[in-house]
Order: sequence, then C-alpha cells, then structure tokens
Amino acid sequence: MFRIRFHGRGGQGMKTASRILGTAFFIEGYEIQDAPRYGAERRGAPIFAYVRAALEPINERGVIQHPDLVIVADDTLVPAPAAGVLAGADEHTVLLINSHEEKEIWKERLNLQGPMLILPILEEVEDRAELPFIGATCAGAAARLVGVISRPSLEQAIHDELEHLGQAIVEKNLHKSLEAYDLMAEQSGSATPSPVRSAQVWENPGWIELPFEDACLSTPTIHAGATSEMLKTGLWRTMRPVIDYEHCNRCWWICSTFCPDGAIPVKEDGYPEIDYEHCKGCLICVAQCPPHAIAAIPEHKFQEDAPEGEES
Amino acid sequence: MNETRFKNVKALPSTHLLGTGTPMCAGCGGLEALHEIYDILGEKSVFVNAAGCMTLLAIYPFTPFRGSWLYTAMASAPAGAQGIRDALDILLQKGQITPKDDMQVVTLTGDGAAYGMGMSATSGAMERNLDFLYICYDNEGYGNTGQQYSAATPHAAKTTTSCGPQGFFGFKKPLFDIWAAHRPAYVATVIGAEPLDLARKIEKAKELKGPRLIIALSPCPTGWDFDPREAIEIGKLAVKTGIWPLKEYVNGEVVHTKLPKKRLPVERYLEKQGRFAHLFTPQRNEELLTEIQERVDRYWAEMANP
Repeated sequence: MFRIRFHGRGGQGMKTASRILGTAFFIEGYEIQDAPRYGAERRGAPIFAYVRAALEPINERGVIQHPDLVIVADDTLVPAPAAGVLAGADEHTVLLINSHEEKEIWKERLNLQGPMLILPILEEVEDRAELPFIGATCAGAAARLVGVISRPSLEQAIHDELEHLGQAIVEKNLHKSLEAYDLMAEQSGSATPSPVRSAQVWENPGWIELPFEDACLSTPTIHAGATSEMLKTGLWRTMRPVIDYEHCNRCWWICSTFCPDGAIPVKEDGYPEIDYEHCKGCLICVAQCPPHAIAAIPEHKFQEDAPEGEES
Repeated sequence: MNETRFKNVKALPSTHLLGTGTPMCAGCGGLEALHEIYDILGEKSVFVNAAGCMTLLAIYPFTPFRGSWLYTAMASAPAGAQGIRDALDILLQKGQITPKDDMQVVTLTGDGAAYGMGMSATSGAMERNLDFLYICYDNEGYGNTGQQYSAATPHAAKTTTSCGPQGFFGFKKPLFDIWAAHRPAYVATVIGAEPLDLARKIEKAKELKGPRLIIALSPCPTGWDFDPREAIEIGKLAVKTGIWPLKEYVNGEVVHTKLPKKRLPVERYLEKQGRFAHLFTPQRNEELLTEIQERVDRYWAEMANP
C-alpha cells in the first residue's frame, strides 16, 4: 500500500493535492483514501492531507503514521515540531521539499537517513499563504514519484477535481502539475509501497482498569489562567510585521488595541512590542499604524536571513 | 454612572488579559472585540459559550481566559448562564463566597445562536430578569462550518448557501430591536474597530444589574472574503457608511453613540468584501446596490424623525 502525506499551510491547497493524487490513483485502478486532517484549518496554520492507495481493499484508517512519501509545500514548516512534517519518517520514506535550498543543505540540517528530493521553487511570492497552484504542483510531483500514474491519468484527475473552477484555472493547474511531473522523471518510482500489516499481527494493548471516579474528580479542569499562551500561533505567520522604532511615535493604543490576538503589549517606556511567538501575521498593525512605522516582510525571507539556530 | 473612565484613547488598556495562542483566524474581528471587552470586564467573570467559532477558544487543556468557561449546545447558553448565576447566588447566600468574590456571568455566542437557535432561551432569560451579560460576535453567518447564511446575514451577501447571482434573499434580523423590546437593563451594538465606544459601553454594562446584551459586528476575513489586514478598515467603514449603527438602549431609550457626520456611500463598505463582489463584477448590479443604500438611508431618516 502507498501511504503519502502532503504538508502545507491552510490556504495552500493540500486538500486539493490529496484529491488530485487520489483520483489519479483511482483512474489507474487503485482503491484509495484521501482526506485532510480535520481540525482548525485556519489560513496559514500548518495542516496536512493524506492519501492511501492499494490494489486490494484498504482497511487501514486514520492519520498515516508511517509514510512512504512526504511532500512539503512550504519549507518554513520543516523545522517546526508542531507541524509534524517528519512524524514517522524513516529510511524508507522519500521526503520532497519545495525549497530554494539545496538537497545537501536539508540533508545535513535534518540528519535524515531516507532519500531526499527538492522541488525547486520556480516563482517565489512574498506571502507564502498565496503560493499559486502549489497543491496541483505537489500532486504532479507525487504522481511521478510513485511511478504507477501515467501522464494522461494525472491530466484526467486534474480535470475531474478542478472543473468547477473554470477552464482558465484548470489550464494553469495542469501546466504547473505536469511541469512538476516531468521534473521528477529521473526519480520515477522512487517512492515505493510498504506492506500492509495484517490484523492478525496486531497486538492489543494491555487492558487498563480505570476506577469509576466522581464527576468532581473525573471532569477535566484547568487550574491556571491563559494556558493558551503555550500554543505558539506565530507558526501560522507567512508575513512578519516589524516595528521601526525610529519612526514609532508611541501612539501605542492603535496597534496594541487593534491586534485581534492581543499580541502587541506595550512596554514600560511606552513602545509597543510584537510577540512573535503568537503573532499570526494578519498585518492589521501594518495597515493601521499612523506613521507607517510597521513594515511587512516575508517570513521565509526572514528565516533565510536569520543566523542558524535562531528562531522567531 | 455619569463619569466614564475612558475619556480618550490613551485611557484604553495597554496590557491585555485574554491569553494569546487561540485558534481563531488571523485578523478575526470577533476575537478583536472579545479581547477589548475582556480587558474592561476583568477576570472575575465566568463565560458560558454556545457552539460556534469561539468554542475553539478553550480546548482542554488550553484556555485564553483567566476564569471559568462552560460550553453549551447552540441554543442553550442563556440557560447555562442561569445555572451559574443561581449557583453563585446560593454560594453567596450560604456565605461560602463573599460579595467581593462574586463574578459576572457572561454568555458568549455567535450570530447563529443569538439571531436564530438561541433566541428563545435568550428571551426566557430576559423574562426572568437574569443578571447576566450576553456578548454576540456577529460575523453574519455560520462561520465555523464554512459560512452558511444565518438570520444575521445581510441582504445580497454571498454565503455557501446563498451563492446565486443575487446572494442572500433575506434581510438581517433586527436583533437589537427584538432584544430592546424585552426592556432589559441594557442593549448595545459595538465593533472592535471603535474601541473607545466599545470600552464605554462595557464599562456601563458592567455596573448595571439584570440582562445586558451586546452585539459586536465582527468582520470575518474567512467568511466575508477579504485580506485580514483590512479588518479594521472594513469595521470603520461599517460605521461610517451607517450600515452598522453604534447605539445603546438604556432606561427605556435608544441613543446613538456615534453619529456619522457625513455618511459615506454604502458601496465603499461592500466593495471591499468578496461576499459582495457579484454586485460589482462582471457588471454593477445597480438595482441591488440602490436597494441596499435606500435601506440604510431609510434607517437614518426614521432615526432622525421617529
């Protein structure tokens, strides 16, 4: 059975990628499953979708734990543990990253055992949340890497899945997807299926006896306030607001009040300070700052320029 | 209360009580209103949350609140508030908490619950003169499930269940009037883009007893289809065009708290949102645009000459 995971950000079309690939497998005669991970699918937030394909009925359910192929649409997610890009990847797993950087750099950075491929970024955009046609591009690359999907089947799948968006959009997606399909020609078939573990070898977990507890004990309670701060929503950000303190005139109430997340506290000296661990990059502060002292820079550029090891 | 603590914008809170790290979308107008409200309300509050986007605020073990939070079904948040109010009253009566430890009971729902499913429970709570504060974050549709239309959806807006060339056939329900007709202690409309007006209203509501209800128009980048950075601009335009009148009902009277001096054409608000794009492209739908403008004009004419 093939097990493939697509990782990206909300809005980049990972669900579409999984649907295109699933349909292409189906046209080739495979049984398939394709699904996005259900949860808070917010724009910019890390999300993933997955595809299973096999020539026999698929009994496996749920999130893919041990992928044969992992495709990452946005390389800024790779170092983020919360994105879970490398979850369950081993020496069998092929990892394909859409990136400016070389394969060798990623291999060294991640200390990976398995095969590693790069899908070069051909056109960069400022705001990665708006990467054009990246879903279809990833699906095209995946279709070639598994080695069992023909070019016409991929074309058909794109038509089937995107028809409702109109001919012009279908054409652009086809072009991008087939370009990626052709680019992966040398690596065709490098992602191989792994065996299905039969139910007979499944070991039941040991029986755990839980005593019946009164509701006042067994109801989940939280004994601290504002624990949500432990969730680093800064990871969603594709554009980064940066305050130029030379031009900030300390009318702090505007950025600090208008930030929906309350992620711009005011320091004692009256200057606002952006909490990058939680700023989601909505850029309301950039739009509202009266002296235009807040600039927006692409998060991927910031990460590329930052010295190694430095985060946020 | 005569004197407001919020004389000017510099009096607004510069540190914020509501925790960061919530799963609300980037640029969420509802979260913006909530964090502004929570700063004024303070941490001595218990939230009763009906199903909706803000259900996701508190997913165990994470919460942005500094006090308790209770989750109810969509139609029953005011009933949940009754239970909590009663429990607090019993604790007070038995002397197990002091009046100093008493808390504000706050119902938090979206427009789906406030304008539709939960209306009967809200009406009942007002009938019983329940001492609670109701906050409705109104993003004019069932946002958490992909923006299907609700009873708060404005005329002609495109939603996933009103996607024809004319958009939504119905009209936004006049919830403010329906609530005010119950003669509760306080009703107000607010918007996060006007934080001073919002702060004064919450300050006033906090001091009153009985049912107090707030509707916060919540520009929604995801459901209304606009760039999140425009959220404040769109909120300000809602007020400046007169489509979202800022007002309050107190002591039996309705008072407008921010009168747009010269109302901007309502298109200026509509054209910024993808949900109204069909009114402008491929060609302008003059008939619908005129109808929407006339409706706003009529509101303000009736307001001036009741």
